[in-house]
Amino acid sequence: MKTLIIENIDLKKIGELKTVSRYFCELPDIIALGEGDIPGNYGKAWQSSQTLPPNLVPSIVQLAKLENYEVILLSVSTLGTGLAGPLSAALSAPVVTEVTAIHSDMVIERPIYGGKAIIKQKIESTPVVLTIRRKYFEPEVLEGHTSSIPLNTESEKVQLISEKNEQTDGVPLEDAPVVVSGGRGIGNADNFSLLQTLADQLNGAVGASRGAVDEGWASPTRQIGQTGKIVAPSVYFAVGVSGASQHLAGIANSKCVVAINKDEEANIFNRARFGLVCDYQKIIPQLTQAIKENR
Amino acid sequence: MHIAVLAKVVPDYLVPSMDFELSNNRAHERFSRMLGLYDENAIETAIQIKEKTSGSLTLISYGSENDIQFLRKGAAMGADQLILVKGTSDDAAVIAGNLMAALQSIDNVDLVLAGQQSADMDRGVVPGILAQMLGVPFIPQIGDVDHENGSWTVTQITAQGKRELEFSGPGVLSITSIPENVPRIPAVRAIFAAKKKPVIKLESTDQKKMALNELEVAIPKIECVCEFIDVEDPGQAVRILLNRLNEERYL
Ligand SMILES: Cc1cc2nc3c(=O)[nH]c(=O)nc-3n(C[C@H](O)[C@H](O)[C@H](O)COP(=O)(O)OP(=O)(O)OC[C@H]3O[C@@H](n4cnc5c(N)ncnc54)[C@H](O)[C@@H]3O)c2cc1C
Repeated sequence: MKTLIIENIDLKKIGELKTVSRYFCELPDIIALGEGDIPGNYGKAWQSSQTLPPNLVPSIVQLAKLENYEVILLSVSTLGTGLAGPLSAALSAPVVTEVTAIHSDMVIERPIYGGKAIIKQKIESTPVVLTIRRKYFEPEVLEGHTSSIPLNTESEKVQLISEKNEQTDGVPLEDAPVVVSGGRGIGNADNFSLLQTLADQLNGAVGASRGAVDEGWASPTRQIGQTGKIVAPSVYFAVGVSGASQHLAGIANSKCVVAINKDEEANIFNRARFGLVCDYQKIIPQLTQAIKENR
Repeated sequence: MHIAVLAKVVPDYLVPSMDFELSNNRAHERFSRMLGLYDENAIETAIQIKEKTSGSLTLISYGSENDIQFLRKGAAMGADQLILVKGTSDDAAVIAGNLMAALQSIDNVDLVLAGQQSADMDRGVVPGILAQMLGVPFIPQIGDVDHENGSWTVTQITAQGKRELEFSGPGVLSITSIPENVPRIPAVRAIFAAKKKPVIKLESTDQKKMALNELEVAIPKIECVCEFIDVEDPGQAVRILLNRLNEERYL
């Protein structure tokens, strides 16, 4: 099936989509967005420095029709979410977002109800637009580069005024082998520093629940879950996090969850490998100290 | 200034996985119903724009008549009227088409807001489809919205940080949560006043479904046995925890 990947130039994201493309074709085409070389091999490659979906939709629709793409692959990201709905409507294509598994015969799976159920759907016609949930498909290692044809994007419906990326010291959250996450139970922004100290000892990163982000104690870039980042660390410390299914959706592939919560009934203990029922302030400083001493 | 917010009434999204049950492949009807979480952030955002611009706010939903009692929370928060398109489909194109019909039944909508994702189907795709049907831009994951000199300035929350975008004319935005749009709790007086606000009911129109065939809905098995570590002596507890993490080679 003729498959098109649309993604920013990002090794991991493109690598994951390339893996997914194997279910549909041998060699996909790509529209790569942003500056730099396009990593990996493709049938055809287009490139644009434009990264805002509303400005890209008309050219992508034109190209998709011209080339008769049957499958369009996007990641669950600002870009993918921005493109999926409009492309679906413009191409009269079914769209399935947050895909987590693909079977033969165009049958796909995705979670619903915050991951409390999984729906299996068969795609009955093409073109189809899919957004793929991060970390569910092992990224293909991309070798070499493909030269590209420029993708003309004429419309400038939306203007970028400014962009601010947060400085992250240490390991990026998505790749961290250890994640220490805080929820509403942390109580205030200052106490998040206790989690940072622990994470630093373990070469890990600090995450947060939506509860903590809404309180303004942690930046939205730290949010873990269905509408935040998907992580798959070896150890995930959930501290003062109740364990709502939408939060757990972000840690499904974590190997070991350690839950610290003062409510023994908290749902997080249903997902945890190890549980400590107590006020986190009693445990986190001790844990940090013990790790320091063990060094 | 006239803002429209798309909102969906959903089964209680905080039901823990262990208690979750299906009937006819959907959440069991015994679960209580409520406004979607991010939809409330969208309503709050819209009310703030309405207050700044002395505008008006219409809440639009596609669902059953029974949903009206839950949509009234939006009216109590500050929406001026409700429009319900009566329908039962879960198809994103059908929902978007019907929401468009509702939008076209009212005049001069300057901006359409929706929650980032509904709290049942978790798709986040309806507002994007609707925007394309309307021929206006769709921008997801928006925190702040401002209107100045005839154009919209919005802050998009990205995976790495944020960006400020500008566009003029109508558009469809999906709203994420930020500390500034935590939904207000309506006062008792507002709850009573909301009961008198107009509710317009529309019949659904025929819309083409997407070519997706639902095969199965299943509840995934959770097999996890939590080993509880006694915390009476915190020093001892952390030593046991670290030993166990090392023994099982997690650390
Ligand atoms: C469509 C949708 C998408 C969503 N996406 C996400 C997402 O991506 N990520 C996400 O996290 N949520 C998401 N949510 C929200 C989710 O449903 C929960 O509301 C949220 O995860 C709750 O955050 P929390 O666990 O920090 O807060 P709470 O549920 O309030 O839990 C706080 C916990 O802290 C414990 N606690 C309190 N004090 C202490 C203490 N001193 N020591 C130890 N424990 C303590 C309490 O016992 C409690 O269990 C989503 C919801 C919807 C509907």
